[in-house]
Amino acid sequence: MGRAVGIDLGTSTSCVSIVKDGKPIAIPGPDQNLIQASVVSFLEDGNRVVGNSAKRMMIENAENTVYSAKRLIGRKYFSAEVKKAQAVSSYKIVEGENQSVRIRVRDRDYSVPEVSAMVLMEMKKIAEAYLGEEVDKAVVTVPANFNDGQRQATKDGGTIAGLNVLRIINEPTAAALAYGYGKGLKQKIAIYDLGGGTFDISILEVGEDVYEVISTAGDTYLGGDDFDDRLIDYFAERFMREHDLDIRSNRMALQKLKNASEKAKIELSEKLETRVLLPGIMETMDGPIDLDYTINRNYFGQMVLDLIQRTFKVCDEALQNGRLTVGDLDALILVGGPTKSPMVQEAVKNYFFKDPAGEVDPELVVSIGAAIQAATLTERKAGALLLDVTPMSLGIATAGGLMDTLIERNTPIPTESSRIFTTTHDNQTAVRIKVFQGENKFYEQNEPLGEFRLADIPPAPKGDPKIEVTFEIDANGIVNVTAKDKDTGRAQSVQLTVSGGLSKDEIDKLRKEHKDKDEEVATFKPTAELSE
Amino acid sequence: MVEEDFKRQINSLSKVIDDLDYYQILKVDQMSFEEDIKRAYFEESRIYHPDKYYTDPPEFQQKITAIFKRVCEAYRVLSDPEKRPFYTKLINGPDRKKYLRFDLRLLKAETEKAEDEGSSPLAKKYYKMAKTAIQNKDFKAAKINLQLAIKMESKNQTFLDKLKEVIDILASRKGL
Ligand SMILES: Nc1ncnc2c1ncn2[C@@H]1O[C@H](COP(=O)(O)OP(=O)(O)OP(=O)(O)O)[C@@H](O)[C@H]1O
Ligand SMILES: [Mg+2]
Repeated sequence: MGRAVGIDLGTSTSCVSIVKDGKPIAIPGPDQNLIQASVVSFLEDGNRVVGNSAKRMMIENAENTVYSAKRLIGRKYFSAEVKKAQAVSSYKIVEGENQSVRIRVRDRDYSVPEVSAMVLMEMKKIAEAYLGEEVDKAVVTVPANFNDGQRQATKDGGTIAGLNVLRIINEPTAAALAYGYGKGLKQKIAIYDLGGGTFDISILEVGEDVYEVISTAGDTYLGGDDFDDRLIDYFAERFMREHDLDIRSNRMALQKLKNASEKAKIELSEKLETRVLLPGIMETMDGPIDLDYTINRNYFGQMVLDLIQRTFKVCDEALQNGRLTVGDLDALILVGGPTKSPMVQEAVKNYFFKDPAGEVDPELVVSIGAAIQAATLTERKAGALLLDVTPMSLGIATAGGLMDTLIERNTPIPTESSRIFTTTHDNQTAVRIKVFQGENKFYEQNEPLGEFRLADIPPAPKGDPKIEVTFEIDANGIVNVTAKDKDTGRAQSVQLTVSGGLSKDEIDKLRKEHKDKDEEVATFKPTAELSE
Repeated sequence: MVEEDFKRQINSLSKVIDDLDYYQILKVDQMSFEEDIKRAYFEESRIYHPDKYYTDPPEFQQKITAIFKRVCEAYRVLSDPEKRPFYTKLINGPDRKKYLRFDLRLLKAETEKAEDEGSSPLAKKYYKMAKTAIQNKDFKAAKINLQLAIKMESKNQTFLDKLKEVIDILASRKGL
């Protein structure tokens, strides 16, 4: 039997941790770094490179290097978010079957969970090299505000990677767990998690070993990537005005500008001013043209002010739903790379009237929390008990266009709710139920989760069959549906079509494929060295 | 392994849980303060949280999860200042058995009943006609009747809200 680890599968970076002799630690990769870029670069010879070394290939291999795949996971091809990603990505995003998203690299289409699986496999390998043992189980984290489809797709990624996903837990909850570990706290805490692609705020009450999420809210499309995009647009527009050339129309140039913009952003966390110099970024008939601009922190601050303000709207929502004010909070914890920026820190401090807890590493804390949860689940020591909630309401479509809410947001999970369904004409043998997640009272405005079909209903006069359908949200935040005949107690079959998702067969097939490929590669490589 | 005693306790609790109200599940008094309810939720979680039994046989995990779900459900309702009094009234009434598990739809219906159906007979009539039209999914007719009702009583919030609802439905249908 293999070991269990905790993995923070981030938009920009990923991290793997374990609990070793009662102490949770993050594990260094082959380059000794504790965090790895969530980047996969597909090489010409059919091999692929994952992690920090893949990030370095982003320019030379721009079209075949996939990054920020998490922004696409569990989304439908026609969604606004996918359109946005398409506009700024240097790799190709295409439509797959059943409204799904596919990433096209070197003439092959990959599903998004498959790309996630490649990152997860890399994290698995890093842990195995460190432990000198097989790793086959993991707790994987997701943004608290991920919906059912996004959670399911993340879990599928784990399965494809050959991992038994013990649990999907929420990133801010994991951070709280790491913060409180072994401290015996009795506090109300706020976790402000601004990552590369997503923003979450969770408010928890910690009672020694129990971690209760009082409320959570988030924006799954708001993060450091958006800060970069502001800089990219600013530089590209300025360049366009001066030279009448659009950098964004050239994939490699865009990629160079993207890297430089991120670098400039990070430098502005340390310095008040920075210079961006890209020699010969564009070629013209008259020779190459350089991009050479300086930008200062204040000006950048104004460019992203609205993005930072947006996070506070979400914070307002979370506090209101928890019937709390900032005065009720005992501690504030900052998570995610962008919170290293003094501008963000200042704004957050002003909002919460509080200094953030100093001892947490914003980039490791999530994966450490995941490792603590993995240990709790596998070692029977029950280090910490999580009482989490569902981030959005679950409901079904009704005839008038309204959503019948079965489970409200911020309901503690696991939870379930039932409804009785019947037929509307004689001898009807099937009933369709459309399921949605969201807060709008009209179901059309909410996120469609899928359609359930109650089949093989025994023929009877209309209104006679009474089928009890139970909608469950499990500890992973994933929705399960079961049905039974109310009169006979017999289980009733339910078929589910999730829009955009992978089928069980597809997942199995991919898992085998990746396993075979891995074994093939392994025969060429010397066995991983043990590092301590 | 789980102790035999505890297994027996879980088995008997599983059998009776459908007959317990949320106060009984959390083992708190109907007069308890909010803090007591939270404390009870934490205490019960320390006993029934399925994560403590993750490595136990699936049948046992299923049983304990079913119980834990009820603990969560009980806390959800009893910790909510709107849901708790509504629920408490129902379980102390004649149909106690029917109401042991909270139903969101009942609370919503109750809030809707509190609506202002108008004061002038004509406005009342138009509003009633609008509601019938909504039931028959004739939203255009509903819209006209609501507009007439609002002509009579322009400040009636119920009328205004309903009209907005109907307009939204009409708009979302157009979008289909
Ligand atoms: N010092 C810094 N100042 C500002 N931004 C930074 C700094 N360091 C890293 N970042 C930004 O933080 C982001 C990555 O943060 P992080 O690794 O926490 O995200 P993630 O976990 O990958 O994403 P998510 O949690 O949204 O899935 C990137 O946009 C990166 O540019
Ligand atoms: Mg993160």
